[in-house]
Amino acid sequence: MIHASVENNFESWSSAARRFLSGGVPPGQIVWTDEEQGSLFTDSPASTNSTALSVPPAFVKLAEAVSCFDDSSKWPLLYRILFRLKTENRHLLEIESDADVREARIMEKAVNRDVHKFHAFVRFRRVEVEAEELFVAWHEPLHLTVQRATPFFARRFGTMKFSILTPNGCAHWDKKTMTYSEPAARTMAPDADDTEEFWRVYYRSIFNPFRLKIKAMKKEFPVRHWPTLPEASLIPELIREAQSKGS
Amino acid sequence: MIDLTRKLEILADAAKYDASCASSGSHRKRDINGIGNTEGMGICHSYTPDGRCISLLKLLLTNVCIWDCGYCVNRRSSNVQRARFKPEEVVSLTMNFYKRNYIEGLFLSSGIIQNADYTMEQLILVAKTLRERELFGGYIHLKAVPGASKELLLEAGKYADRLSANIELPSQEDLNELAPEKTVTEIETTMSDVKFGIDDSKDKAETSGGTVTFARAGQSTQLVVGASESSDATILTKAQELYNQFRLRRVYYSAFSPAADTSPKLRVRPKTPAMREHRLYEADWLIRHYGFKSHEITAGVANGNLDLEKDPKLAWALRHRHMFPVDVNRASKSLLMRVPGIGVRSVNRIVSARRFTRIRLEDLVRLRVALNRARYFVTTSDHNPDVFRLDRANLPDVFAPRLAQPSLFADVMPVSVISGEI
Repeated sequence: MIHASVENNFESWSSAARRFLSGGVPPGQIVWTDEEQGSLFTDSPASTNSTALSVPPAFVKLAEAVSCFDDSSKWPLLYRILFRLKTENRHLLEIESDADVREARIMEKAVNRDVHKFHAFVRFRRVEVEAEELFVAWHEPLHLTVQRATPFFARRFGTMKFSILTPNGCAHWDKKTMTYSEPAARTMAPDADDTEEFWRVYYRSIFNPFRLKIKAMKKEFPVRHWPTLPEASLIPELIREAQSKGS
Repeated sequence: MIDLTRKLEILADAAKYDASCASSGSHRKRDINGIGNTEGMGICHSYTPDGRCISLLKLLLTNVCIWDCGYCVNRRSSNVQRARFKPEEVVSLTMNFYKRNYIEGLFLSSGIIQNADYTMEQLILVAKTLRERELFGGYIHLKAVPGASKELLLEAGKYADRLSANIELPSQEDLNELAPEKTVTEIETTMSDVKFGIDDSKDKAETSGGTVTFARAGQSTQLVVGASESSDATILTKAQELYNQFRLRRVYYSAFSPAADTSPKLRVRPKTPAMREHRLYEADWLIRHYGFKSHEITAGVANGNLDLEKDPKLAWALRHRHMFPVDVNRASKSLLMRVPGIGVRSVNRIVSARRFTRIRLEDLVRLRVALNRARYFVTTSDHNPDVFRLDRANLPDVFAPRLAQPSLFADVMPVSVISGEI
């Protein structure tokens, strides 16, 4: 048995995987463990391909997403797929009925969904620091998606200075570059913004009490995200009011 | 004088009958000094307990209206409280919401004030201010006011990602009865002008190698369902005609429900079942993505109305059992699309996987086929014990009452989020 200790990110795993693969090590002989001191963040994308390996771009895309999945079973799974791609069938990823492929697709989907919800549910609060406007958000992602999800905000809000704080790490945009830092606590984020009252008025008014569909709402609007969303505290009373209208 | 909070209440409340909240299908890079972009994918920033998504700040500029459409709470003769935003107020709400990541952009509609052109000018003024002064790059959906001049519509499309002129009812007879100021001809002329703008922009983009800049996310419309006697067959035939004629991106269906301010003419009408609206959305998906024609979906259904108990694809398959079973290892893509429980994406997964492997029954689950419906209609490389039931007279009972799990409402979420697989 070989013990492979990797940091919890794609670059660290892929450089180890590349070494094992070039040595022909079969998946069953490796025990993957997370490195305790490992950083969630990498400064530079993997550039060291001393043992250049050609893998389908589709695998890299899949593996980058799966690497953000918050469960260490992802590492042996990814290596197994990589090994099978090389030894069994280079079209493996096109066979979605394959159990390994399916499992990886489930992880990929969960990560992509988490990224999508990250983009949707960040709520900035405006503060002034030394007479300069700063937008700060507290968000709680389910997976390790800070680096994957935050470039979106720089593309969209490039002229705004912002910080997104999460329990998995933080992202800071100074209008030029993004920097990442270690996890934060919720108390470090501001707890109010004047615009939120208008947002809550809007949320209440756009709701149609004559068509209550609580299940449909919860499916796409998971309850676990509600505590970080200023409008969500209105939900119980809106439901009560709608029910009393007999919808 | 009512304050901004009260205006927001009134004019958001008045806007909620427009079902569309889509923010997808547009690509725009942020202006280097501006705020906001669109990347093709719609984002639902929130959801209300009615199951609908909030993607856009959806407002009426005013709910004052000179028209008197029976199905509309804002019609002239309704008793609702009236309000009117100043354009600046809408601009500032949009920017403030957008900067906090509450929304993808603005959906602005309006009651008809003075006349169609004046109303259209007011909508354009808001969009123009957002684009040119605020350098706003987010999504803008503007109502295309039926009867507005072509010049104004062509200007609106420069600023808006999407334009929509609502047809509201599927025939002139229905309009005569409920919306006497509206004519199908006028609404379709508006759609045609918008289509001209889109086509013209596409032509220019092709010859100059640039990108489409006019209403990049196309145009859509909405129909009220159940305010008139028109059947689903009439509605779907009209929808298909609009898709073909004006290349609409979407037709939205809104179930009519009588409210306190409902026109006396309509107070006697029953509330339209939400399931009827849902079935229309499913049928609409079949037309747009599954190669069905409207007459195939509605031929042979009672009174021209879709079966509320079964999704329209399953209902169609049960009426055409001679076309099944379908061999998933050999059947053409278009035939696989007709199998209940196999969605577009599952079809693609099947076609891809079967180049390398023989597909068994259990594989279908991993290919995300809904076996509870599909199993009676397919053969696989192994034994499928259920397919024999295809020839049994009682097969429809298998799906009663609600084994066929309804997919979520198509209007609840933008296309990026819902699967739309039926």
